[in-house]
Amino acid sequence: MVNPIYILVIALFTAFLLPVFDKMGRKYSLGLFFISLAAIFDITLQLAWQSYNGVLKANIFTAGSIPPFSINLRIGGIETFLITTINFGALLAAIYLIPKFNEQKVYAMMLFLTLIAGVNGLILTRDIFNVFVWLEITSISLYALIGIRQNHKSLEAGFKYIIASGLASAFLLLGIIFVYRLTGNLNIDMIAASNTLLVTKGGLTALFLIVIAFLIELKPFPANGWALDVYQAAEPGVSAMVASIVAAGFLYVFYKLIPLLPIYWFDILILMGMLTFVFSNITALKQKNAQRLLGYSSIAQMGLLVAVLLIIKRFPLHNDLPYNLIYIAGALFLNHFLAKAGLFWLAGIIKKDKISDWSLKGNPTLVIIFAFFVFALVGLPPFPGFWAKWVLINRLAQYNLIGWIIPIVIGSLLEATYLLRWFGSAVKQEAAEPVKLPLHKIIPASIAALALIMIYPAFANSLVNTRIIFQIPLLALAMMAILNFLPFRLQGILMIAALTFFGWYIFPLAEGIVKIFEFIFIGGGIVISIVSLNTNIKRQGYYEFLLMLILSLAFIPLAKTTLEFFLVWEYMTISSWLLVLRGKNGEKPALIYILFSLAAALMILTGFALSFAETGSTSLQYLRFLRHYALPVYILLAAGFLVKAAAVGLHIWLPGAYAEAEDEISPVFSGMMSKIALWGFIMLMGIMGTRALGIFEISNLLGWIGVITAFAGALMAVFQEDIKYLLAYSSMSQLGYMILSVAMLSHLGWTTALYMSVTHLFFKGMLFIAVAGLVSRVGTTKMYEMGGLIKKMPVTFISVLIAIIAVSGVPPLSGFGGKWLLYTALLEKGWFLQAGLSFFAGAIAFLYLFRLIHTIFLGQLKAKYREVKEASLWYLIPQVIFIGAIMAVSTFPNLILKPIMAAVDTQFTSSINWEGYKVITTLGYWNGNAVMIITMGVFMVPLIWLLSRVRMVQKVEQFNIVYAAERPERPETTHFAYNFFSHYQKAMGFLVNGQVSNFWNSVSEWFHSISSMVRHIYTGNSQTYALHIIIYIVIVYTLLGVN
Amino acid sequence: MTIITILGFLLVIIGLWGMLTRKNLIRMILGFSIMDTGIHLIIVSLGYIKGRTAPIFNSELSVAGAADKIVDPIPSALVLTAIVIGLAVTALMLVYAVQMHRQKGSLEISDYEELKW
Repeated sequence: MVNPIYILVIALFTAFLLPVFDKMGRKYSLGLFFISLAAIFDITLQLAWQSYNGVLKANIFTAGSIPPFSINLRIGGIETFLITTINFGALLAAIYLIPKFNEQKVYAMMLFLTLIAGVNGLILTRDIFNVFVWLEITSISLYALIGIRQNHKSLEAGFKYIIASGLASAFLLLGIIFVYRLTGNLNIDMIAASNTLLVTKGGLTALFLIVIAFLIELKPFPANGWALDVYQAAEPGVSAMVASIVAAGFLYVFYKLIPLLPIYWFDILILMGMLTFVFSNITALKQKNAQRLLGYSSIAQMGLLVAVLLIIKRFPLHNDLPYNLIYIAGALFLNHFLAKAGLFWLAGIIKKDKISDWSLKGNPTLVIIFAFFVFALVGLPPFPGFWAKWVLINRLAQYNLIGWIIPIVIGSLLEATYLLRWFGSAVKQEAAEPVKLPLHKIIPASIAALALIMIYPAFANSLVNTRIIFQIPLLALAMMAILNFLPFRLQGILMIAALTFFGWYIFPLAEGIVKIFEFIFIGGGIVISIVSLNTNIKRQGYYEFLLMLILSLAFIPLAKTTLEFFLVWEYMTISSWLLVLRGKNGEKPALIYILFSLAAALMILTGFALSFAETGSTSLQYLRFLRHYALPVYILLAAGFLVKAAAVGLHIWLPGAYAEAEDEISPVFSGMMSKIALWGFIMLMGIMGTRALGIFEISNLLGWIGVITAFAGALMAVFQEDIKYLLAYSSMSQLGYMILSVAMLSHLGWTTALYMSVTHLFFKGMLFIAVAGLVSRVGTTKMYEMGGLIKKMPVTFISVLIAIIAVSGVPPLSGFGGKWLLYTALLEKGWFLQAGLSFFAGAIAFLYLFRLIHTIFLGQLKAKYREVKEASLWYLIPQVIFIGAIMAVSTFPNLILKPIMAAVDTQFTSSINWEGYKVITTLGYWNGNAVMIITMGVFMVPLIWLLSRVRMVQKVEQFNIVYAAERPERPETTHFAYNFFSHYQKAMGFLVNGQVSNFWNSVSEWFHSISSMVRHIYTGNSQTYALHIIIYIVIVYTLLGVN
Repeated sequence: MTIITILGFLLVIIGLWGMLTRKNLIRMILGFSIMDTGIHLIIVSLGYIKGRTAPIFNSELSVAGAADKIVDPIPSALVLTAIVIGLAVTALMLVYAVQMHRQKGSLEISDYEELKW
């Protein structure tokens, strides 16, 4: 086998050989430099291969004797994994730095090699004094490398670093010598085995000094101001190495020390890690400088890793499944390693200090790379961080460490906030000047990004069981991305074809209620996607995300395990978020949307984890066996679904997300995606029924939330001027009815909910498509800017008319059936107050629905719209399909009611009977067929009469009117349609005056205030930082209770 | 605990004090150096055994039976390494101080607070 000691030998030897070669010319020294790095990586690969085949020799002795008389190295599985990673990273980092090596003296390369030797040594050695030596070799090389960028900032940062790190090494050295004095040994394993250290106060103190020195090197909050300065001021290529390669070395030494520690230290040290994770992320919220922001994020990740390493060692996580340890920590580490190094390299490519100056629009390569890194750090699938977090949180719950889940969840959410905000602003901003993409920088960044995606199956498959088909949404995304070169319309046709094929394949496999949802997602997806064919102008990412979204939606009801559910749920979140972000003004709504969605996802994740903890199974069906955790699980899952359903109070993401998404996407959100929340409730209640919260039944509570959402949504819709916002609030309101119906937990209630969700797809999909067509012609979404379009866009008018009749629930269209079922179900259940409130909400719905017809299609035609034509065929086809569907189900309700009831029969016993076309309940009957015929008859009579008198009508032209020669300041205010319902606003407007958005704004404000308060501890003064370190050491010493 | 050990700790504390309170870069570096020296003293003193000689083989000290005649050689070996490393760090700090003076013309630590928050 290869002796790993050659890694150290090659690195050090080459480093001192370089000046000689440099005399011959830089070409030669640079060549030698890369040859040595390649040789080191080659050795590492050989070691990895041996490790894979299980023939690796663990201990390497030096100087012809065995410990404690000599230093020994160890090369086990973890060491191999780490040195493979860091030497791979070193190769990339070296490529990135090539121009720097060329312009600097040869010392830069020498320092690079000694640094690499230092880190490899830190990982391999088992001798505590040798650790000190390698630490110093690493640190000294690093100090010098930071100083190589000779500006006053990097010098300042470097000096602070030397002072801080010098202090840490001083304590380390003291600790080492006392450990030697007390044990007579310098070998870590022998010291751990002898256990003589832990019995005396002096021994504990010595041990403490060693541990705290490495903790300081890992930059714990708040004793880490110097590290932030280094990240900010160093050359990005060097910062990348600090965050990845060097951090790996320090982290592993810390890990080696863990077996020495007494058990009662663990909790405090875990707490220190968690504090670092949460507070670094909070502090980062206010950060404007890109590299410093990355610094905060790096420190946070290190904090999390420290905590996780301790948790793993403290609790039996590593015993039951041997690969668990490597799984969680390794995935988190690798995720951080590649993503953070990559982000620093990216910062070096963009060369903009302020994050608000980052502009990547029109540069797909950079956007994709940036996305990979950011998503990986946030822990989105399929990147390793996602799997790590999943297993970690499940395990924490399993070992009854639920308290530690909270900081992880909060910290992750905060990290997502600033990273995704940054991503959103960068991809939305048009670049002032084109970004240069030098090869030496783009190659390492792309390789890191590729590596992140390539390694994920290793983590995804090693522990968790997901059926491979649950990766289809991701594969679909990749396929569409590959087909991106095709004409845009052809891509659309292929996408619809793929969906059709998928539906043909999956539909027969689905059963019961799942089938209804598959119908909504796939059927709706196919019809609504037709709209997208209206343009042949390429939109980056459009079909990719759309197909991914629809497929994710389709897969959610098929999930059998919690992980499958959560995985596709996250795929849905990502794809829909990116679709919102694509919208013209999508940046802010997209951020709000993703934050609420991630919060919901984390609640669902925690709920699932608790379920796993109690039942020991990830099967969704096992939720029904919960006893101990039943209530928290129920509440967490329900809360997650309520966020997705945009229940009142949690709804502020909805209007922006629905309305600011592209016009072709809004119908997908409203018609299809909103139903996934309903599926969530159906799944939850189908399995768990209801639970009691104190004296309340949770289902009762949910019913009230549903009906209040229906009411509030309708009321807010009334006061909108923007047609898409109006429809968005209307969707929220409709979802409220559906939640109310599901919460009844009765046959009729569920029938109602499913019936509504299908018909809602028809009419809301249709409305949003009609609006998309409308907007494509008039170019505005403000209703008061429209008017009189009835003759210009007759088909659109008809579909809007039919849709609003259907929504409002007047006979004869399908909405009537929905309302009838709803009231029947409510009365049957005895929920009279809820019935009253939903009736009131229904009445309010008339107001906004009336406005759609009145303001847009009736009244005077604006001069500028004289030439407006009917929307293009691509908009009309799906509308006509939906009109047909509405007409069909209105006339023959059996078409959908029968399958729905059959599906619900599996859950509840039916209280409904059929008699031909008649639906009979205990409270009465509804004959959709007869209602249609009668209403049509009633409609036809006046119609014929009016048509017969059509010649007597006198046309009033637009300018047949007297003006009072005034010119108002804001002309739109004089439009009759502006502030149309101001009288109602006076009466009820106070209910919807933005209390909820104010609340969430102040939540955000609070976090930002804390952030700005906390970050003022970083005064910039080197001595203050040194003092922080001293105080930190004293506090931790006291907390650990050494004395 | 010999008097040397105590002296060593005293030096560590004086050095630390210097690093934390002196505003001049050079003085801070001196502080670091004093602290380092203190640590070296402690290391040496811990390996010392009263009445024994330095662990160097020569005409006075043969290999046979040396274990009873010499002080613990490990701390002596360690301190040599530590001194070399300390020297390197101190030298690097001084280089930094020189470069910082060139850039800004000041040796006051309070003039180097540009990076913060």
